[in-house]
Amino acid sequence: MDIKPILSSLRRSPTGAILVALQIALALAIVVNSLFIIVQRFEKVNRDPGIDVPNIFFVGWVPSSDSYQGEVTMREDLAVLRSLPGVAAATVVNAVPLSGGGSSTSVFTESNEKGRRADMNYFEVDEHGLDTFGVTLTEGRNFDATIVTKPPRNSSFSPSGILVTQDVAKELFPKEPALGKTIYTGTSQPVTILGIIDHMHGSWPGWDKVGNVALFPVIPDETYARYMVRAKPGQRDAMMKQAEEALNKMDNGRVILKVRSLEYIAANTYADDRAMAVYLAVVIALLLGISALGIFGLAAFNVSTRTKQIGTRRAVGARRTDILQYFLAENWLITSLGVVLGCVLALLLGYWLSTTFELPRLKLYYLVIGVVGLWIVSLAAALRPARRAALVSPAIATRTV
Amino acid sequence: MFEMTQVTKAYRTDLLETHALREFSLKVDKGEFVAVTGPSGSGKTTFLNVAGLLETFDSGSYRLDDVDVSKLDDDARSKVRNHKIGFIFQSFNLIPDLNVFDNVDVPLRYRRMPAAERRERINSALDLVGLSSRTKHLPSQLSGGQQQRVAIARALAGDPALLLADEPTGNLDSLMARQVMDLLEQINGMGATIVMVTHDPELARRAHRNVQVIDGQITDYKPYEPHPTPASVTVLHPKAAEATCG
Amino acid sequence: MFSYDLRLALDSMKRHPGLSALMVLAIALGIAVCTVTFTIYHAMATNPIPHRSDRLYAVTLDTWSAERPYDDEKPEHPPQLLTYRDAMFLHGAKAASRSVVMYKSGALLIPAREGVKPFNSQLRVTSHEFFGMFDAPFAYGQGWDAAADAGPQPVVVLNHETNEKVFGGANSVGQMLKLGKVEYRVVGVLKPWNPSPKFFDLNNGAFEEAEDAYVPYGWGKALELPVYGNINCWKPETGEGYQDFLNSECVWLQYWAELPTLADRDKFQAFVDNYARSQKAAGRMPRKLNNRLYDVEQWLDRNEVVQKDNRVLIGIALMFLGVCLVNVVGLLLAKFLNAAPLTGLRRALGASRRDIVRQHMTEVLLLGLAGGVLGLMLAVGGLAGIRAIYSSDFNGSSYERLTQIDPVIVLVTLALALLAGAIAGLYPSWRIGRTAPAVYLKTQ
Repeated sequence: MDIKPILSSLRRSPTGAILVALQIALALAIVVNSLFIIVQRFEKVNRDPGIDVPNIFFVGWVPSSDSYQGEVTMREDLAVLRSLPGVAAATVVNAVPLSGGGSSTSVFTESNEKGRRADMNYFEVDEHGLDTFGVTLTEGRNFDATIVTKPPRNSSFSPSGILVTQDVAKELFPKEPALGKTIYTGTSQPVTILGIIDHMHGSWPGWDKVGNVALFPVIPDETYARYMVRAKPGQRDAMMKQAEEALNKMDNGRVILKVRSLEYIAANTYADDRAMAVYLAVVIALLLGISALGIFGLAAFNVSTRTKQIGTRRAVGARRTDILQYFLAENWLITSLGVVLGCVLALLLGYWLSTTFELPRLKLYYLVIGVVGLWIVSLAAALRPARRAALVSPAIATRTV
Repeated sequence: MFEMTQVTKAYRTDLLETHALREFSLKVDKGEFVAVTGPSGSGKTTFLNVAGLLETFDSGSYRLDDVDVSKLDDDARSKVRNHKIGFIFQSFNLIPDLNVFDNVDVPLRYRRMPAAERRERINSALDLVGLSSRTKHLPSQLSGGQQQRVAIARALAGDPALLLADEPTGNLDSLMARQVMDLLEQINGMGATIVMVTHDPELARRAHRNVQVIDGQITDYKPYEPHPTPASVTVLHPKAAEATCG
Repeated sequence: MFSYDLRLALDSMKRHPGLSALMVLAIALGIAVCTVTFTIYHAMATNPIPHRSDRLYAVTLDTWSAERPYDDEKPEHPPQLLTYRDAMFLHGAKAASRSVVMYKSGALLIPAREGVKPFNSQLRVTSHEFFGMFDAPFAYGQGWDAAADAGPQPVVVLNHETNEKVFGGANSVGQMLKLGKVEYRVVGVLKPWNPSPKFFDLNNGAFEEAEDAYVPYGWGKALELPVYGNINCWKPETGEGYQDFLNSECVWLQYWAELPTLADRDKFQAFVDNYARSQKAAGRMPRKLNNRLYDVEQWLDRNEVVQKDNRVLIGIALMFLGVCLVNVVGLLLAKFLNAAPLTGLRRALGASRRDIVRQHMTEVLLLGLAGGVLGLMLAVGGLAGIRAIYSSDFNGSSYERLTQIDPVIVLVTLALALLAGAIAGLYPSWRIGRTAPAVYLKTQ
């Protein structure tokens, strides 16, 4: 393929080509970086939370009269919940995972806040908590009912034994097994690690230590407690209704507020990430669309101004495919220039984004995806004008306008 | 080597049907220089397009260089144009972005000729038309006459069997016109077959044979002589013409 | 001359409808994306109380642990909340012209009326200065006074929506309702009021709805009303009971001071620093002296109300507009140069270079205007779409507030479109004005 005439032609009037190349370069930079961010958000939203999200729901309530009896009432309610045939497990909990709200504390391998430290997002649950979350232990055993207590309000109570996730265990004891070890609260109270949970997300999906979770054998205070119920697969919505009805029937000094599924709560927590991904996806689509239209427009115009030349070439012996190849090659040349420039811009933009906004560094294979994508878009856009060029009749050469 | 027999071509639109060529027959022998004349609208341009395989025709037959080219497909027609025909257009039709050398190169490229052979042919063609010193110039940097000479070089470079010229001097002043005509005569003298379409009777007289087209048909007669005075008919030698005109 | 230019511009657009439509579309898309992004950013970055924002200061003390700062990512900033002891002292000392101490709580609201279900209401437990300092507008009645705070007197101010829900929107001043265990008398009802961002308490989300009801600060201690915001503690404290909690180093209260002049601010700063020094002498506040006052804008900045994501989106929107403009420049160039013979003719007939440039710039501005109008329509649609998809009762309909178009945005959008068109058209218009007429009048 003889590119010399294409180059000569471009050198004479480079402005159009430069504009197309510039457009492709900018589009590549934006598309590549946006795609990267989208994939990140997608991965973040689709991380495995460990908990049985599809089947869990929460019941909020508030004490409404003096006849409310704290722990007694909670146990009554839980018994009712557990008696529902579609319920697999139920417990009372201080906070909702994946909701953006919860409690955390720090523990240490030595007393007086010495040794290695781990920050943990803790959930106060009874002995059914582990089962209700739907997570499994890799080592040790669940705490039993005997060590579950309800401490007085505002007291600085420490449980004697807790369950922690592997992430916490590794932070505290990187080189040795953590099971059975004693760790210390901030007030130097000793706590034994009774069991190690495989993997579980806590309250704050945006926290880089979202997997640092602990379960405490504590019945939470009624000012912030709610019931967590895990329904049997497929029965969540039915159970949400039944649970509300069953609890409302009881007249035990508390009022049922909202019943919400964990799926709904988690979706709201991730709404911003999803919104970002959708926004960027729309931008990418619009960008590719407008680029395609622009390239099409310019290519069509290019062809229309050169019909005499095309006719002459055909007259001296060019076949239709020769003309087609000519214009596609011209488009390819300009696109390649844009792509090269675009790679530089994409890397610069990626670098700037990652340093200014503390986002991860752009991975190189996204560049490849972007380059291939834009080449295809550019080719597709230029194809019809190129075909129309090929169909220009050689008789144009003899026409005197 | 050029034989059109009973060629008919009509243009159809929604509203009317124009018969541009009607049972048109023409035979040209190798080495002839034929002028095809006629008033505007007579079908000269159609004839040119058909002769040059730029357009198809409806019926009849056309043999070029002992090959029947009547029913060829588009690719085959392109090949014939490339190998066997050399065009010289009224408005030169040089490609403005390419320099002289590259313009002459265009048809050779489509023939997929190796670089050395192309170079040789281009240089000798430019030499023949007297423009070897201007190979790097752009068409915009040349006069009309020079541009047409480049076009002629382009037509010759491929060693075509037939040269088709469409009003070759139509856009030139009389001085340059004469130069171009002298060149054409010189080429013809070297053995090229030339069919020239023109409406200018003066020009037509410089050909061997004059053929007139009226309403899409041939009326064949001898060279036109308005006032048969020997003195008005002078055939200048090409070299002498250049000497006087510089 | 302008009307003639306009006519020429319209003719030119009609002659190439496809190309012109493409250019308008390109401008429209770029403008739409920018408008949507700017609207949300503007809503997030907007000053919620502009006429008072430079007099109101969030007061913070660095009472945190010696071992590590409160915020690892921004170690120079103290915690955003105060301890009970510090807040009570500062409020009681009356060192500012006005100050307010408050926190967010919740209680079961039991209406006196039959037929309205009890619901869990969001409460703001606050001292009486709240309404004046933050300019909360009253539809009926008014707030309470210092005596009510001290009492505490069982009075309550309702927000507009709660009043609608519980009393059908009537003037409910003097009516009673029960919050938790106590019966309160309504003394005031606010007009619809949702400062956005909710600058005075950003703990539960910057665009959360304002609270359902307001009760005097003294009830917090009297009823041990739970804290619905953040409680952060660093000191290992072995305490039992509410009083120990109040005495602890846990931070959970918001404290704002009104300091009308810079001199007032400096004076207050000195006062706070002196207090901190005295506390340090008593063994508290182990960290270096670092007590900060933030006016509203600084406070929004400190709390990163405009998130990183939003800034990234602004950048991307602008780059997208850039691509659209490059597109338009290319198409304009093509269009103008194609009409060059016609232009050459005009020049030959006496048009000056300036006439040609002006004529083409008129066309460009017309395209920009059309693109702006179309872009605005697309933006409105886009914002409505965002609102529809993302609004839910859960996020306090914050997306509703963030996606409202106001007249300022309309004007800015159209101005941006014209500017974009002008920028895009500069080079092509200059180019076509520059070419010598003769070049285009020759036939070859």
